[in-house]
Amino acid sequence: MEMPKVTRRTFLKVSATTGAAAAAAPRLLNAMETELGGKDFGPVSGVERKAIPINCHVCNIQDGAIAYVENDRVVKLEGNPEHVSTRGRLCAKGNAGMWYSYDPDRILFPLKRVGARGEGKWKRITWDEALTELAGKLNAALKEDPNTIMLKYGRNRSGGVIDRFMNTLGSATVVNHTSVCESSKKIGMEPTWGPDIETPDFANAKYVLNFGSNILEAAYFHNPLSQRVTEGRIDNQMKIVTFDVRLSNTAGFSDEWVPVHPGTDGAVALAMGHVILRDDLQDSDFIETWTNVTVKELKEHYKQYTPEWASKISGVPAETIERIATEFATTKPATLFTYRGPAKHLYGSYNERSCMMLPIMTGNVEKKGGYCLPRGMGWPQPSPEPGKPKKGSYLSHPTEYPLAGHKVSHLVPFWIADGKQKINVYITYQDNPVYTNPGAMAVWGKLFKDEKLIPYLVSMSPFMGEETALVDLILPDCPYLERWEPESMPNSLWPWLGIRQPVHKSLGESRENRVMMRDIIWKLDPDGKRGMKQFWNFKDGEDYMRQHFDNVPGLKEAGGLNFLKKHGVWPIYGKLDPRTGKVTDKTGREIKAEYGLFKKELSAGDMAGAAVAKDGVISKNGKAIGVKRNGKNYVGFPTGNRIINVRVDKWAEYGFNPMPTFKRVPWHETMKDDELVMVTFKLNVMKQSRTAAVKWLAEIAHSNPMWIGTSTAAKLGIKTGDLVRVESRVGHLVTKAYVTEGIHPRTVAIPTGFGHWEYGRLATLRLKDKKSEASHGQDDPDLNNVWWDDKGVHPNNIIPVVADPIGGSQGWYDTVVKVTKAGPNDKYGDSQGDWEKHYAAYKETMRYAYTGDLHRKMHPEMASWAGPDSVKHKEGGGGH
Amino acid sequence: MLKTVLKIEDGDAEEVGAGETAAVLASPAETAADCRSRAGVYRLLSGVFVEEPTGEFIEALRTPAVLAELAEAGLRFDADFLTTPQDMLLEALAIEYTTQFAASGGFPPVESVRLTGRYKQQPNFDTMQTYKRLGFVLQPGRFEVFADQLGIELMFVAELLERGATALEQGDAVTHRRLEKEIKRFWTQHLGRWVRGYSRLIERTAEHSFYREMARFLGGFAAEEIEAMSLRIEDTDQARLEVPKDEIRVEFNPNEPVCNGCMTDALSTTLSAPDNVRRLEEMRGLNKLHDLRDPG
Repeated sequence: MEMPKVTRRTFLKVSATTGAAAAAAPRLLNAMETELGGKDFGPVSGVERKAIPINCHVCNIQDGAIAYVENDRVVKLEGNPEHVSTRGRLCAKGNAGMWYSYDPDRILFPLKRVGARGEGKWKRITWDEALTELAGKLNAALKEDPNTIMLKYGRNRSGGVIDRFMNTLGSATVVNHTSVCESSKKIGMEPTWGPDIETPDFANAKYVLNFGSNILEAAYFHNPLSQRVTEGRIDNQMKIVTFDVRLSNTAGFSDEWVPVHPGTDGAVALAMGHVILRDDLQDSDFIETWTNVTVKELKEHYKQYTPEWASKISGVPAETIERIATEFATTKPATLFTYRGPAKHLYGSYNERSCMMLPIMTGNVEKKGGYCLPRGMGWPQPSPEPGKPKKGSYLSHPTEYPLAGHKVSHLVPFWIADGKQKINVYITYQDNPVYTNPGAMAVWGKLFKDEKLIPYLVSMSPFMGEETALVDLILPDCPYLERWEPESMPNSLWPWLGIRQPVHKSLGESRENRVMMRDIIWKLDPDGKRGMKQFWNFKDGEDYMRQHFDNVPGLKEAGGLNFLKKHGVWPIYGKLDPRTGKVTDKTGREIKAEYGLFKKELSAGDMAGAAVAKDGVISKNGKAIGVKRNGKNYVGFPTGNRIINVRVDKWAEYGFNPMPTFKRVPWHETMKDDELVMVTFKLNVMKQSRTAAVKWLAEIAHSNPMWIGTSTAAKLGIKTGDLVRVESRVGHLVTKAYVTEGIHPRTVAIPTGFGHWEYGRLATLRLKDKKSEASHGQDDPDLNNVWWDDKGVHPNNIIPVVADPIGGSQGWYDTVVKVTKAGPNDKYGDSQGDWEKHYAAYKETMRYAYTGDLHRKMHPEMASWAGPDSVKHKEGGGGH
Repeated sequence: MLKTVLKIEDGDAEEVGAGETAAVLASPAETAADCRSRAGVYRLLSGVFVEEPTGEFIEALRTPAVLAELAEAGLRFDADFLTTPQDMLLEALAIEYTTQFAASGGFPPVESVRLTGRYKQQPNFDTMQTYKRLGFVLQPGRFEVFADQLGIELMFVAELLERGATALEQGDAVTHRRLEKEIKRFWTQHLGRWVRGYSRLIERTAEHSFYREMARFLGGFAAEEIEAMSLRIEDTDQARLEVPKDEIRVEFNPNEPVCNGCMTDALSTTLSAPDNVRRLEEMRGLNKLHDLRDPG
């Protein structure tokens, strides 16, 4: 018998095509995991440690975790095996979380500024003194106008407490951080299909398009989704193609990395849509049934976006676009994921919509292995609740950005400087824009140092970050291991509720946020006569959690908060299988996710009293609850008309293109040969601004040389390790170069999270200063081993503001720079930004708002738009 | 009151039989007086480091008699302490205390931080257990304080010394000896491992002469105590056998003959001479350390 001739080529081909069979074959030999986790023992005492389930909050993925406590001290953190999303795994950041609790630079008492702002002179005061002073300032502000009290938060997982606080005060001046995060992704998605994020079913997909997400290291939802990416890639032989300006670790793990010019992902996606529609590879039934356009309309619209057109803009070869488009459309199931790559540009919202159109037009929505809606769970708020403020706030909802439902926080300093809204008391919670925002110290530092613009500045923070160092009063907040907080995050296909609970007594006199805010209100309204105190009727954080959780149907029967205190998460879907790492049911089979959420049929009860409109929208009590399709009453998508809006009519009202489109960043089109685009990125051990003080993480990554392409560096005579001067239109910095093939030649990239000038002795490396040479623990093997002298260089001073006129996002990846070898007067770590130049950038970006003079120029296709006056008095939309 | 910070839990205190006595080398009365004198210094230093000084404390310290005694002990306060009006001085000391000991970037006087680089590590739990074993419980004062905070550790030794003195006065040498061992153990396991190096650090970093000089006092006193107790403890907090020349402080005018000008000698004299023991005893009575912890 002739043996088959097996070359490597045929071997690989066979492997690729027989993946499903291979996956189904019995497995009798498995890598052994001896313990599932969930318990731990002291190595010396041998005693089992107290295990307290929590939700991690080093970053915002919300992994299920367990804190092991000995003697009221956290000694170890690991994943919670009962958590359906993270399945017992915790990332490097999560494992290091206890450093926050015991940081020697932690603020443990209320501190009052006694020198000039930023001088670093403080006086410790009692809580009563602090609350009395703050109440006095708030009372004065309330008399003038409640909206002069502003609260800006960075990470807010308080479960509604911030809003309750500001509503109690009657102020609408609540500003978040989302515009420097991913707001244009959200605003691209929300009017289209409802939610602000997708859940790609990586584990079951056969083909994945990844636009600008580094999911294996940093993006939403790093830990749970990277597990599924790995399963899909290894167990399910899925193909993953990553479009990114940089060879991230996710790009490196992919089958293909396609480098794109920054900001052009949307053009590539549109061209892929063109190929799919041109070749009739779309899912016509899905488009006709579930979207607000016809296949014919879509084909007509996409004709303009040819691969050749996109290739010219993006640098991606037209044949690559053709091939990948065809592969994506013909491989089922397929999914797509995006993060900041497409969204963080002048027209990021357009980019996001163009990308998400690919799974929509191929009918991959809500299918196993497809592009799924997020799954989350809610919880009730304690009663009574304060009403919303009567008067709106410009800073919260600037009139020039009516569609930016997640606000435009990074332009706030300029608006305050321009006198758009007066501020008397500025309160900051878990925020640090002086470090994290474009302009950094040059913009926010200048704002906060101006006592005329910000007469009173209060920080609720456990740490002396760059912002907190500039305030008048610090109220010591608790790090996450000492807080009560409700949680639910759509980070897998299985919805869950969870809690964060204190794993030990809070250190010093720090108070968790909700208690702190209660105490402020109680100080303002001690006898309840002002009507404020009634909204803050709880004994402590646990009591507040009971008011959230003890009456949630299902959870109530399981034990309410007591169940969550014991397990950290509800429901428990099954048991973690040590062989597969998957959650399995009682029979040992993997639990199945539910798909097709939009196709759930409304019950007779739901339909009682409901009305069906001509277009099929089913309404009840003035609210759309579903949509009639093919004779059936479906729940549909959570949009106003319960279907997917490929055409977003509301955008057209403001002169924006309602259909999927692409706008190139104008100044990228006119870049000179010696100009490059500077982008930023995160490493797996760093988050925005609060990880550089964690020794275990800082030891892994403490320096951030600038990535530059080999050919570009050769032209400039730059080698790895050389000092380089990077100049943008608002400032310059001096850093080191890292020459690599792993970046687009017209791009340079600097990782963030480094180069702190505040945030404690480790982040700033002040423990190495002569004066403080022995400021740290002498017995501690970690702190005695701070062997590095390079804390990195922070790039934000030289990044100008750019605001997406639709979604409000900062255009982090739009900065044009010139890179040269450093001169004799350049010093490593130099970083200078200029307020006047940043201010000019702000004025420039406002020209792209719908009220600006460049808006119409950028939208010749909307020539029939009647102009800003036609919608001036309309209330904004978007967001949620 | 300071005593309320380390409140005696009578129920937990170990009982020693009334008939148990043992011989002591010095006379019991002398030894008891020595214990009380030492306790006075511990209380003084505890009051300096446990929290910001009160007006009463500073007023007591700035009387001519006490200043003269402190000067004789080698403490050289500058005008910022000696001539600044009381209100301004209190404000300045509160700011300096915060900068040095209670704000980010400072040097918390906490053993866990000094030795392990983090708050609330093993020394915190070990000291707490020791306090409990000997019948003390930590109570909050004006501010929350860790069990291994310098002021509390010093206060603990003061309490043991006073118990020992009382025991001697009641003819209970066994208890006194047991308490002496406890003090030695506590120095070996805790104070001796960090306060000498720490005092040098504060001496170097303090901007106000009050804390600079009190840190010097602490360092000298610690060295003296360790020597007097015949202990051999390595100070792991910056302990260095040799100090670089550029860090050596010139404590005398090099053009003048050297004559008992150095701090160590002065302190040594202060702590051993009966007169000075008496003066320290007086000083303890003068300062109102106890009021720090009990505003009510």
